[in-house]
Amino acid sequence: MVYPGSNCDRDVYHALKYVGVDVNYVGLDDSLDGCDLVVLPGGFSYGDYLRPGAVAAREKISHEVRRAADRGKLILGICNGFQILIEMGLLPGALLRNSSGRFVSKWVRLIVEDVDTPFTRNFKSREVIKLPVAHGYGRYFKTDSAIRVVFKYMDDVNGSDDMIAAVTTEDGRILGMMPHPERAYEKLLGGEDGLKLFTSVVEYLRRNAS
Amino acid sequence: MSKYRFAIDVQFKSSVRDPRGETIERVLRTEKGLPIYHLRLGKSIHLEVEAENEVEATRIVHQACEDLLVNPVVEEYEVRTL
Repeated sequence: MVYPGSNCDRDVYHALKYVGVDVNYVGLDDSLDGCDLVVLPGGFSYGDYLRPGAVAAREKISHEVRRAADRGKLILGICNGFQILIEMGLLPGALLRNSSGRFVSKWVRLIVEDVDTPFTRNFKSREVIKLPVAHGYGRYFKTDSAIRVVFKYMDDVNGSDDMIAAVTTEDGRILGMMPHPERAYEKLLGGEDGLKLFTSVVEYLRRNAS
Repeated sequence: MSKYRFAIDVQFKSSVRDPRGETIERVLRTEKGLPIYHLRLGKSIHLEVEAENEVEATRIVHQACEDLLVNPVVEEYEVRTL
């Protein structure tokens, strides 16, 4: 997905190419028919006007995302994409300004809490990984005590409830995460812990297609 | 059809931390020496609604709040006429 103000769309494109799948950029007037995985990338859609993700979540194309979700397609929202999924109501909670009041841009350590999702099946349970974060509004405000937490921060990054960095739906098919796996899929980028997320999802889709 | 002007005051719920408000409050108290507490930094939205009457206009404003302007998970709002 490319919204006005998305800026990690190319990174996602290259990460998905790297694991050998066909990737298409999808704009505001396009359709999501025929795709198996929808990725909402990071950035500052509509300049974070009103609330991050608030305007993008109400675009016509976001209704297509909702339709894809209803049909059981896999959906991954990264950073601003996570904020959009929450604004759409596809994931519970809220993402608020970091408790420090500052934008945080650095590599962080995460614990993989849930390996039973299509996105995390190649990780080991409780594995510690390193991924970059870059956000001003990453403080996860928990509203659902039964929420499936997929990644947690090892150190307090933004004041999130329970150090939550990523959550998924009950069926594990919609994942929202603040860290950027697409900025860490090969050594050249400073780390490759994000690669397993992409290989997980691609292997999952290939297995279910055959 | 007439036009009606409204102001919407959007604030975080008291259960939600507001780091911007906390910072501003701290500066007013510690740097300026003013006895100021519980400062909350919200948003004020002014808008004009075209409607048959004020009741209808008010209904439309509330719909705008619920559809987009306010996130009911963490925010609450008040509407007043201008």
